[in-house]
Amino acid sequence: MDHQIFGNPDRGNVTFTLAAGESVIVEAGSMSFMTAGMTVKPRLIGGLMAAVSRKLLGGESAFLSEYSTDTAGAVAIAPAFPGTVLRKELKGEGAGLLLAAGSFLACGPEVRLTTEYGGGRSWFSGTGPFILRATGSGPVFFNSYGAVVERVVQGSLTVDTGHLVAWEPTLEYRIRGMGSIKKTLFSGEGLVMAFTGSGRIFLQTRHLGGFVRWLSPFCH
Amino acid sequence: MDIDVSTGGLFGRALVHLEPGEKFVSDAGAMFRASSNIDIDVTTGNRGKGGILGGLGRLLTGDTFFLSTYEVTDGQPGEVGLAPTHLGEVRRVDITPDQAWLCAGGSFLGAESTLTLDTRFQGLKGFLGGESLSLLRVSGSGALLVSALGMLSGMQVEGELIVDTGHVVAFTEGLSYRIDKVGGGWINTWLSGEGFVMRFSGKGRIILQSHNPTRFGQHLGPLLPERQS
Repeated sequence: MDHQIFGNPDRGNVTFTLAAGESVIVEAGSMSFMTAGMTVKPRLIGGLMAAVSRKLLGGESAFLSEYSTDTAGAVAIAPAFPGTVLRKELKGEGAGLLLAAGSFLACGPEVRLTTEYGGGRSWFSGTGPFILRATGSGPVFFNSYGAVVERVVQGSLTVDTGHLVAWEPTLEYRIRGMGSIKKTLFSGEGLVMAFTGSGRIFLQTRHLGGFVRWLSPFCH
Repeated sequence: MDIDVSTGGLFGRALVHLEPGEKFVSDAGAMFRASSNIDIDVTTGNRGKGGILGGLGRLLTGDTFFLSTYEVTDGQPGEVGLAPTHLGEVRRVDITPDQAWLCAGGSFLGAESTLTLDTRFQGLKGFLGGESLSLLRVSGSGALLVSALGMLSGMQVEGELIVDTGHVVAFTEGLSYRIDKVGGGWINTWLSGEGFVMRFSGKGRIILQSHNPTRFGQHLGPLLPERQS
């Protein structure tokens, strides 16, 4: 499976070129164009119940689409929002990658996706209650709102919850306030995630939730 | 006609230079600046395709009801700056008399007045996809300006190309298309979330936008509070 990323950093989109027998799994609804001869099948992550509960609770699309071909062809996809598209190659060994809700765009067929209920931590994290875990081998494509800041954490890093895109599971995190209750309430930062350990983390320089909160008072 | 199109990045825009006697038509509200000798006339159509019906047709294409026409008033050159609604690129397409184009209503930014704009309402099948499928037929000789959410890319169709309805910007008349589902049965289509596609065939040019404005709106809408009234 060949791919080409166009339009970064602000109009990121991907075109996959598939040889006979190859396939790619993409976020439902993300296809912009494709050549003739593609077979499209809906895919569920973790079975029907998980998909339905995710749809109801997480707001994340319950379905993925698998594009495959017996001949050869191309399929192009784009995220719902303008932003950057990133790729990370999973190597089979190792823990894979964790993705905040809404960050997943596509992956190779050898990548295994599971959703995890992040528990109380993720309810407060602003990323929604479900986290997507990608393991196995092959490329994972994900997207940001705004530009992407990539950091290798050695030790600790404090991250605003809405700006989290993806991180390696070798990192641990806990939710905490930004100092005292007063600071937590009035600094505008709310709750933050304190990451510790060593691993890679991807952050976005804008936060859709923040933009929507700004926009909301104008809805009348 | 002399038009500076600034592109690259998400903030595409166009500066149209008008000589005396030249006229340019844009989507109403697209002007963000003009030299002081520019006069704006608001019409519901262009080149005899006006009147209330022409305007209604454009409303159905997902475009604004009115068109603005710009011309200079004092015999001196003037200029009009145009900006689209969405964050994305702007492109100039030169239309020649031998090849008419069809332009998606929401992607039309402006056109030289020498072009004939004809609203072709696509009827009920246009609504099935939940996206604006209605098209403006652009013919004659002159410059057409189109806009995008995200990136614009042109390609040559030879054979078949399947495009999600929300990504179609413009294509040459002569390409045939039919509205279709993505693949498999109707249940698969519904589950896959892909909605409807246009299955193009034949030979011609097509311009696509990288991002889908309808999908952007569908993602943003549920995050906003309910309307008060």
